Amino acid sequence: MIIRHVKTQLIRQRSTFSALLDASFKSGAVLKSLSTNIYENLALEDWIQEHVDLESRSLLLLWRNMPAAVIGRHQNPWQECHLGLMREKGIPLARRRSGGGAVYHDLGNINMTFFTSKKQYDRQRNMRTVTSALKDLRPGLDVRATERFDMLLNEQFKISGSAAKLGRTAAYHHCTLLCAADRSLLSGVLRSPCQGIKSNATPSVPSPVKNLTDEDPTLDCEIIMDAVANRYIRDSGLNGPLILIDPTDELCHPGIHRLTRELQTWNWVFGKTPKFTIDTCFDIPHEAVRPKVMLNMEVKYGIIEKCRIEVPSDWLPLHMCEEFSTLLVGSRFCPSDIAALFVAVSRANPQTCDLQAKLNLLCTKLTNVM
Amino acid sequence: MAACVGLRCVLQSFPSALPLVSRTIVAPSSRLLSKTHLHPRTLSTASRLAAGLKFTDKHEWVRVEDRTGIVGISNFAQEALGDVVYCGLPEPGTKLNQMDEFGALESVKAASELYSPLTGEVTEINQDLADNPGLVNKSCYKDGWLIKMTIDKPSELDALMDEAAYERYIKSIEN
Repeated sequence: MIIRHVKTQLIRQRSTFSALLDASFKSGAVLKSLSTNIYENLALEDWIQEHVDLESRSLLLLWRNMPAAVIGRHQNPWQECHLGLMREKGIPLARRRSGGGAVYHDLGNINMTFFTSKKQYDRQRNMRTVTSALKDLRPGLDVRATERFDMLLNEQFKISGSAAKLGRTAAYHHCTLLCAADRSLLSGVLRSPCQGIKSNATPSVPSPVKNLTDEDPTLDCEIIMDAVANRYIRDSGLNGPLILIDPTDELCHPGIHRLTRELQTWNWVFGKTPKFTIDTCFDIPHEAVRPKVMLNMEVKYGIIEKCRIEVPSDWLPLHMCEEFSTLLVGSRFCPSDIAALFVAVSRANPQTCDLQAKLNLLCTKLTNVM
Repeated sequence: MAACVGLRCVLQSFPSALPLVSRTIVAPSSRLLSKTHLHPRTLSTASRLAAGLKFTDKHEWVRVEDRTGIVGISNFAQEALGDVVYCGLPEPGTKLNQMDEFGALESVKAASELYSPLTGEVTEINQDLADNPGLVNKSCYKDGWLIKMTIDKPSELDALMDEAAYERYIKSIEN
């Protein structure tokens, strides 16, 4: 089978991107983002859905990101991710506007977003485009889409997960595709150390994963993206080249900067978390003893609404414990906020060295949960 | 979505003068029984509850009670959505302009955004939906209401569709 070479062009845009599409790409196009920033790319998806006329045309957007964890719209990041590990490695967390579960992105993962009108919304067809493209490349590859619109390799390993958003008039369905991602970082990032969280947030369905390059080392992201683009062009009867998009270009995409900024706010990333409770206990290693700390909190929209910390009274005076519990109410459930609070309180109420050391340890252990 | 379209095709073969309720009863039973969501009794109940409501083209409805607007999604919308697994609703006190996005319903199908039918302030949200999001599917006109809000611009209500106009609208978009 001859794979048609896809010509790529950087198109000089003097008007907005939607005007360009209306003028030259009436039936549709394949787009590729020049950015590897998760927030810029998520903002691009929402911008396209809001501003491009998708009544009579469909679009495919291909994009990849530097390492990032991405949770679904109604998920709990504390439940889904190892936030401490992510802070350590400088891996950002994003909350997308579509539903679904938590995923890990890096440059070894391809994201594909299928934009259509709501009427033309068809996830099965989109998954067929991807599986067909993979089989065009390697006819012997055992890949298939499931009823949940995941993709399985060899009937065993998840190589793709899907999510979708229905907007005013248009819809998008996006999916990941694991080509050569860092699997150990993936499992580390998506395994939360947090015990005792109860919430009605949408949970993820964990699955064993594999990279396509584990199965066939001759594959890589570029080859696969080209194959998917070609297949999409063929199946949609399109004729156009692949359009490269810069999601930081405000002139071409008026309003995109605001969308990008909103996606990075604490209020969106963490504050959109459905109400949850934490009921947990942990040891504090301190000299020869290991006092047990009981923690009970209610957190709504990322703010601590109720807090009870219980520590053996011979290790820390009861009144101090109660004071801290009260103090934490109204704070964001966030290590830097809590640490700042402890510092401020310690400065205002200087303690003996021993007590101060204990307070610092308690603070550290508490923020580990966040 | 396909199930809904199938039923509409059946209904359209009857004279349009017949009201919705009797059309439902007269339709071939084998067609209706094959659609698990579209039992004839559920449709006629939904239809009675839909009377007196105003609808938007985004398939939301508003009912006015004591100068408060109660907002929900229509039967057409809940069928299209599939089983709702989470309702993302705004905080009471949130000020909304007409057509502002105020939340999202997550179903197995997608996260579907909700658009405010009116300009006003959110006064209450349906707390039952936190533990029982399926109420939106089971009782979209009654127990599955989403938010209550003030009606700051009553003229906006006049511009919304009544039940008959909404039914015509649904037919037109399915074609």
